[in-house]
Amino acid sequence: LFASLLYRLLQEEDEAEMGPSVESTDPQDRINARRTRIATRIEAKRREALGEDPNAVKEVKEDLSKSRKQIEDSRQRLTKLQRDGTELVSNIQVAGDSREAQRRIEQEEARRQRTEKMENEAKASQEKFEDITRKWMTTNTMQIPQDFRDLLNMQQQQCAFLIEEKNKLISDLQKHLFSLLFKELKLGDDRYVKDLKKQGEDISLMIERMEEQIKTLSRSYHEELLQIERSFELERHDLMESNDKQWEQMMQARRDQELDYLITRMKRVEEQEMQLEELRTVDAEEYNIIKIKLETDVQILEQQLQQMKATYQLNQEKLEYNFQVLKKRDEENTITKSQQKRKITRQQDVLNNLKIKLAKQEKQYREDNQALTDDYKRITEKYKDLQRKMRHFAAVDSSNFRDIWLMNEEEVKMLVRKALEADRIIHEQQLGMPWKMPVLWFMDNVGPIIPEHKKKRTAVEVAKEVIISEKNCVRKDASLGNKQALQVLTHQTPRTTVKRLLEILCDESGFLIESKLLKLLLPLERDEQSLMKLDSIFAALGIENEDDVFKLANFFIKYKRQQDASLQWCCWRCWSIVPSIFFSTDHRIDAQEAAVDSKEKTDLQSEKGSRLPASSKLAHADLVHPNDVLKALRAFVSEYHKSSFREKHQQTKLDLEERDDSDDTAYWDAMANAIPVSKLKVWDALKTALEKYYYVLTERLKLLTQTDSLKQQNLELRMLLHQYINSKMTAELEIPPTHVFQQTFNES
Amino acid sequence: DNPVLDKLLPKHKIKVLEKLSTKLPLKVTANLISDEGYWERCCRERWSICDTSEHGGSWKSLFFERHLENIIERFIPEATDPMQVANVIPFCQGYVKRLRINQLLPPVKEPSITNEEEGSDTGSDDGIDEPTLDHFDFGFITTRLSLLEELHVIYGVKGCGMNFEWNLFQFTKRDCVSLANAVKACKTLKVFRLQRSKVDDEKVRIIISSLLDHPSLVELDLSHNLIGDRGARAVGKLINRSKLEKVNLWDNKIRAPGAQAIAHALSRNDRLTSLNLRLNRIGDEGGEAVGNALLINSTLVDLHLGSNELTEPTALTLSQVLGLNRTIKRINLCCNRIGP
Repeated sequence: LFASLLYRLLQEEDEAEMGPSVESTDPQDRINARRTRIATRIEAKRREALGEDPNAVKEVKEDLSKSRKQIEDSRQRLTKLQRDGTELVSNIQVAGDSREAQRRIEQEEARRQRTEKMENEAKASQEKFEDITRKWMTTNTMQIPQDFRDLLNMQQQQCAFLIEEKNKLISDLQKHLFSLLFKELKLGDDRYVKDLKKQGEDISLMIERMEEQIKTLSRSYHEELLQIERSFELERHDLMESNDKQWEQMMQARRDQELDYLITRMKRVEEQEMQLEELRTVDAEEYNIIKIKLETDVQILEQQLQQMKATYQLNQEKLEYNFQVLKKRDEENTITKSQQKRKITRQQDVLNNLKIKLAKQEKQYREDNQALTDDYKRITEKYKDLQRKMRHFAAVDSSNFRDIWLMNEEEVKMLVRKALEADRIIHEQQLGMPWKMPVLWFMDNVGPIIPEHKKKRTAVEVAKEVIISEKNCVRKDASLGNKQALQVLTHQTPRTTVKRLLEILCDESGFLIESKLLKLLLPLERDEQSLMKLDSIFAALGIENEDDVFKLANFFIKYKRQQDASLQWCCWRCWSIVPSIFFSTDHRIDAQEAAVDSKEKTDLQSEKGSRLPASSKLAHADLVHPNDVLKALRAFVSEYHKSSFREKHQQTKLDLEERDDSDDTAYWDAMANAIPVSKLKVWDALKTALEKYYYVLTERLKLLTQTDSLKQQNLELRMLLHQYINSKMTAELEIPPTHVFQQTFNES
Repeated sequence: DNPVLDKLLPKHKIKVLEKLSTKLPLKVTANLISDEGYWERCCRERWSICDTSEHGGSWKSLFFERHLENIIERFIPEATDPMQVANVIPFCQGYVKRLRINQLLPPVKEPSITNEEEGSDTGSDDGIDEPTLDHFDFGFITTRLSLLEELHVIYGVKGCGMNFEWNLFQFTKRDCVSLANAVKACKTLKVFRLQRSKVDDEKVRIIISSLLDHPSLVELDLSHNLIGDRGARAVGKLINRSKLEKVNLWDNKIRAPGAQAIAHALSRNDRLTSLNLRLNRIGDEGGEAVGNALLINSTLVDLHLGSNELTEPTALTLSQVLGLNRTIKRINLCCNRIGP
């Protein structure tokens, strides 16, 4: 074990020393060497690949690649040199490696031998030991103690022998080992030192070699460079020479050529001179001919020139004259122009002024306008105010008037009533005659009287009248108003048409009536029914008085007429456009009907009445078709509402204005003459009689008063008498006064 | 926080930057100054040898990367204040892409006790280490450095000289677990190197189980370790369950079964371009397996089988491969007994 330990120690020592030395010197160098080798190899390969082809080509071509060849040669030489150098250097490392490997093998071998020896020994002892143990086994079978003892002794001997042998071996081995160990230790030390020395030598050798190589390399590089340069120079020289030669040759050739050219040129010049001479002679002849010809031409042209000059003179004069005229005109024009300009400027000024003025004016007018509009507004405001006031005043006046009227009327009526009462009293009491109330129409009147004809009947009344009158046939109303109304009515539309119209209305515009009303109306008569319906329809349509009714009627008629007219126009157009051949029967009939209608209408207008049954029939035809009623009604309502609004507005004014007082005097006179003159005469006579009666009565009164006073006196006297009688004095008296009185009274 | 510097005119800015002291605290300068010249001065002042080519050509990232590396390399667990690292990270996180940590210090213990413990433990179990020997926890960093792409870690002490002790070179199980978790948490990681750290099969399996289905890992380097056949099998599994393009397993203890496992993975892979199995002992069986895998595979470019005890049969299969495979560019077979 110790030996193995020592061995390991040695080995490790070795390794510890070997490692660094190998690493420090070898790897770098080796790597470097290898690197260079690789580089050169690669380069060489590349060169070969690159340089071979050009080389071959150039060799064939010229001897110009001499320098390149030189470069190639030197490169090859250098690479060889380098390789050799690196080999030399790396050889040291390889040697080191091999030494190490050798050492390892040796050590391994030694170790193997040692282990083998020990194994052999171990095997032998093992055999002996086994032998002994086997004998131990046989002892078990022994029966005789003597034998057993012998055997035991033998065993003991053998064991002792074995142990001895072992001990011997151990001591031998130990001795051997120690000696070996020492030897090996020494050997190892020696080797270590040797190795160290060797490695130091190696390193120094390597460095030497490297330096040498570097030196040789640099030297060879230098040499090669010089050679390459030389070769380049040589090449250059050759090239120069060859080029010079070429140049000389070329120059010579050029000179010869120039001489040739000169000679040929001379020859050509001579030839051309000859030709020129010939040409000159020919041209001179031609020149003469042409000269003569041209001279004649010149003469002719000169003549022409003279003529032209004359005309030119003439023209010049003319033109001069014209020029003068034009100049004058131009001057005039300039003058006028300047005048015009001045005028324009003036006008411009004026225009500007006017414009300014206009602007001013406009401004002013605008202002004025503004002011005026303001005024107008104010005035209208005022006017409205005034109007309002006026209306107010008018209303007040009217109310005042009415009040006064009423008051006066009341008063007068009272007076009349008084008078009548008086009259009645007179008649009944004084005259003892039965008194009869005179008929006094004005007593029923209250308020200011309104002329009868202006009063408007309500629409319903009219309708009623119309319907009833129709029913009663041609019975005419007796009253004046009605007559007038009817006249007006008939003046505008025939009564029958109105009636017809109303009936249509009644039938068609049932939707305007409430359903409840319809139910209520069921039991009534037909006329009454229609009347009630009309009432509600009128209410719905906003028709109030008879005028509206007639307006409605007129409107309907007009409407129809318009439709007709349009139809007619249509027809007429058709007529005009389409020839009679294509005129359809329908159209003709339509047109005829329309014509008849219009004619009949004029008849109606002229006839002013409803006496003609034919006309009524025609009116039927003339009236609106029930289907058109609604349209017509709509149109009417829209139109009517427009107008009615305006009318209503004016009506109040009209009311106020239109009041006339023509009947007032009569009214008042009537009031005043409530008691007729004959009655007054009676009254006068009665008055005188009464006055007489009164006188008598006064007389009587006077007498009565006298009697009364006398009675009084009498009474007083009686009283006194009585007092006197009844007094003590009297009693004392011989004759009582009573007696006296009685006596006197009796006497009387 | 005051961006006055950016508002200056260019010539004034240059002048100001020239005058700025390199001793200014990083807290001030880290996010404020982006000028390369200033950072170059900083770097040159701190380190004699500076090579920006290994740091993405940026002086600023060089400065911060090396600064952070120095801090981590000098970090002693339980002795150094973890805030020392935590304080630096906020400035660094925008600039650090690579971390090459060449040493990790173990916690300081009384050497005698550890020695005794070591001695006593060796008898019973020499595989299990004391939990007190844990190193720096990378999970602390990787979660914060959002741009980290390369992580190189060596669990060991550099330049120990005559103070050599075995426990300076311990890679404990807990270290392994924490490293695995840290690598798993770092989703941007592209290159992961764990060299010279005594990684055996168990630990490799732990690390690889955390690397399965890693979204960005491209290169894996586990050279100079103690990886055996089981570890190789795990690597073979990882090859087909990640985006790996480059795998370095040289100087391990992979034998024929491990090589067969890797070859099997290789035959199904269409991503891997480089495979290094130098200084292993895969033998002819492994070599033939790899060669047969290359008959199917069409992505591998670089293969190193140096020092692997290969002989004629492998050479035969590989000659077949060279005839059929079009993608392979380099096969290194040095230090083998291939024969004439």
